[in-house]
Amino acid sequence: MVDLIIFLILLASGYGFGRHAEKKHYRSIIAREKELNLIPAIATKLIPATGQLYDSNLVTGNVVISIDYFKRVIAGLRNLVGGRVSSYETLIDRARREAILRMKQQAKSEGAEMVFNIKLETSSIHKGRRNAVGSVEVLAYGTALIPK
Amino acid sequence: MEYSNPELPEGINTSKEHPLKEFLILTAGVTLIISGLILILVLLSDHFAKYIPFSWEKHISLSFVDEAPKNTTNKKNIETYLQNLADKLVLKQPLPDDMTIKVHYLDQDQVNAFATLGGHVYFYRGLLDKMTSENALAMVMAHEIAHVRYRHPIQSLGRGVIFAVIVSTVSSSVGDTIMQSLFNQAGFLTVLKFNRQMEIASDEYAIQSLYAHYGHLKGADDLFKILQDEHGDNEPYEFLNTHPLTTKRLKYIQTSEEKYRPATNAELTALPDQFKKWLANNQK
Repeated sequence: MVDLIIFLILLASGYGFGRHAEKKHYRSIIAREKELNLIPAIATKLIPATGQLYDSNLVTGNVVISIDYFKRVIAGLRNLVGGRVSSYETLIDRARREAILRMKQQAKSEGAEMVFNIKLETSSIHKGRRNAVGSVEVLAYGTALIPK
Repeated sequence: MEYSNPELPEGINTSKEHPLKEFLILTAGVTLIISGLILILVLLSDHFAKYIPFSWEKHISLSFVDEAPKNTTNKKNIETYLQNLADKLVLKQPLPDDMTIKVHYLDQDQVNAFATLGGHVYFYRGLLDKMTSENALAMVMAHEIAHVRYRHPIQSLGRGVIFAVIVSTVSSSVGDTIMQSLFNQAGFLTVLKFNRQMEIASDEYAIQSLYAHYGHLKGADDLFKILQDEHGDNEPYEFLNTHPLTTKRLKYIQTSEEKYRPATNAELTALPDQFKKWLANNQK
C-alpha cells in the first residue's frame, strides 16, 4: 500500500513537473530558433563558391536532458506491447534542437555567417538499473565560417 | 546558391497525442491482457493439478516447525488423538489409495488449522483450546481432509507459481523498481490460499464425513458460532481469515443439518477427559 502511494506520488509529480518543463523548454526553443535563423546550419560539406574568404572554426553545442518518472512508466508499458515511444520522442527532439541552438550561439559569438558540415551525436549517459534510460546527451558540432 | 534554415512546422518529429490518453490506454490494455493470461493459465493449472500423482506432492516438503514444544509427551498424546480422529473420518469416506493424512500439532497461540501439500494437516493450540466437543473438532478435521482429498493445496501452489512467473516476467520488462515491488506484492497475496469455491466444496465433503461418522450433524457449526460471537469488533482470528466465514456458509451447514434430519437422540461426543490438560501443560 505504501509502495502504491509512493508510486502514484512519483507518477503525478513526474507528470506535473515534466509537462511544465517541456512546455517551457519548447517555448524557449521556438523563440531562439527564430532569433538564430540568420545563421543557417547546413549539413553539406562544400562551402559556397562565392569567392568570399572565410576563417573556419569548430563550433559545438552540447546538452543533457533527463526524462521524468511519468515518461519512464509510459515507456515501460510501451516495452510490453510495442509501438511509437512518443514519450521519448519529445525528449530527443528537444535535446537535438537545443544542441543545434547552442552550437549556433557559439558560432554567433564568433561572428560566423554560417555553420557547415554539421553532425549530431546522441548517447544515453545514464542507463541505470536494467538499462532503463535516464537521460540523453546530444552533441552538435560543425564548421563555422567567419568572413575575413 | 543561397543557404538558409526555413522555419519548419511543429509536430513532425513528435506525437501530438496527449500523454495522459496514451497512459490510460496502455494501462488498461496491459491490465486486460495480463488478467486474461492469468485467468487462462489458472484455469488450465486447476484442471491439470488433479492429474499430478499424490506421491509427487509428498516430495514437495513445506515444513512448519514448532518452536521446541515444552512437553513432548503431551504433544504426542494430542497428535495421536487427532490422528485417530482423522483416521476414523477417513475410514467412513475413504481417500484414494496413495493418499494419506498426517496430522500435526503446533504449540502456538494462533487460532487456526490448515491443510498443506502432501496430506499434512496442522492444528494450532489456540484453535484446539476453543473446542467444546469432538464433533466441532471433527468438522474442522473433515474440512481439512477434504482440502487434501480435492487436491486444493497443489492447485493453489499451481496458481501461485503461475502468478509469480507472470508477475516477474512483466515487471522485469517494465524495468522500474517501484513498479516491480508493486507487482510482486499483488502476486504474493494469492499464493497458497484457497478460494471460496474450495471452501464450500470442502464444507460439503466435511458434512458428509460427519454424518457418516456420527449419524448426525449436531455441533458441526459450534466452532464457527463461537469464533464469530467472540471476535466482535476485534480482529478476526486467523482461522476466519484463511477460512472466510460468510453467513452463507454458516447457513449452508445449518440447512444441511435439517436436510440430514438429525436423530432425535443425537448427542455430542465429548473430548477426551485429559484433552484440556494436554493443552494446558503444553503452555510453558
